[in-house]
Amino acid sequence: MGKKIYWIIIFITLAVNVVALQWTIESFFGEEYEHVITYSIVSIVSSLICVLTFWRWRKQEYK
Amino acid sequence: MSKEQKGKRNQKETREDMVGLIHNLERDEDLKFNRRSFLKSAVGATVTLGVATLPFSVLALQDKEKDDNRKEIAKLADIPKDSAINFQYPTESEPAILVHTKDGELKAYNNKCTHLQCPVFYEKEESVLLCPCHRGFFSVDNGHPLAGPPQRELPLIDIQVENGVVYAVGRQIRHG
Ligand code: FES
Repeated sequence: MGKKIYWIIIFITLAVNVVALQWTIESFFGEEYEHVITYSIVSIVSSLICVLTFWRWRKQEYK
Repeated sequence: MSKEQKGKRNQKETREDMVGLIHNLERDEDLKFNRRSFLKSAVGATVTLGVATLPFSVLALQDKEKDDNRKEIAKLADIPKDSAINFQYPTESEPAILVHTKDGELKAYNNKCTHLQCPVFYEKEESVLLCPCHRGFFSVDNGHPLAGPPQRELPLIDIQVENGVVYAVGRQIRHG
C-alpha cells in the first residue's frame, strides 16, 4: 500500500483536470461564464492536491 | 575466442557469441524513462491542464460585466400571429429572428444557421425554421435542429413584453 496511494491520487487529479479543462472550454464557448469559473476553480484545486501529493511522495521516495 | 571477437560481444546487434547479453539494456533510456519520471510527467501534465483553464476564467470574468443588455425589438401589434421579423441582438452584427407563432407565443433566436451560418427563415406552412442553404430545419418551439446537417441548437434569446413592446433581455447559447 503506502506509496501506491500517492500514485492513485495523482492520476485521479490528472483525470479530473482533463475533464475540467474540456468542460471549461465547452462552457466558455457556450457563454455560461459561471460554469467556466466553477470548473476552473475545481481544476486549480485538483492541481494543488496533485502538487502536494507529489511533494509527499518525493519525501518518501528519496528518503 | 579472439580478442577482437570478445570486444564485439559487448556491442549491440552483434552475433559474435550468439547471446545478445546486453540487447535489452539501454542505460540512457533507463535514466530517462523510468517509474519516477513517469510520475513526474503526470504531475506536470496535471498542473499544465489546471493552469490552462485560467485564461478562460479571466476572459469569462471580463465578459460577464458587459452581459445584460435590454433592447427593444418591435411593437407587439406590428407582428401578426404566424409571422416573423428580423432584428439584431446582442450586437449589430448578430442577426436574430423573432417569431410570433400560430398559438400566439413569442420565440426568438439568433438566426445564423449552426451548420455554416446561412440565415434561417420562418417557414409558415410547416411552422419550422428553415435554412435554405442545405435544407436544415429547426424547431420553432426550442430552436433545436430537426433535420438536415445542423447539429447544434440556435442561440435562444429571452423575450419580455411590456406595455405592448417586445424586448430582448438576454441570450442562452446552449439551452435545453
Ligand atoms: S448552412 Fe444551414 S443547413 Fe447548411
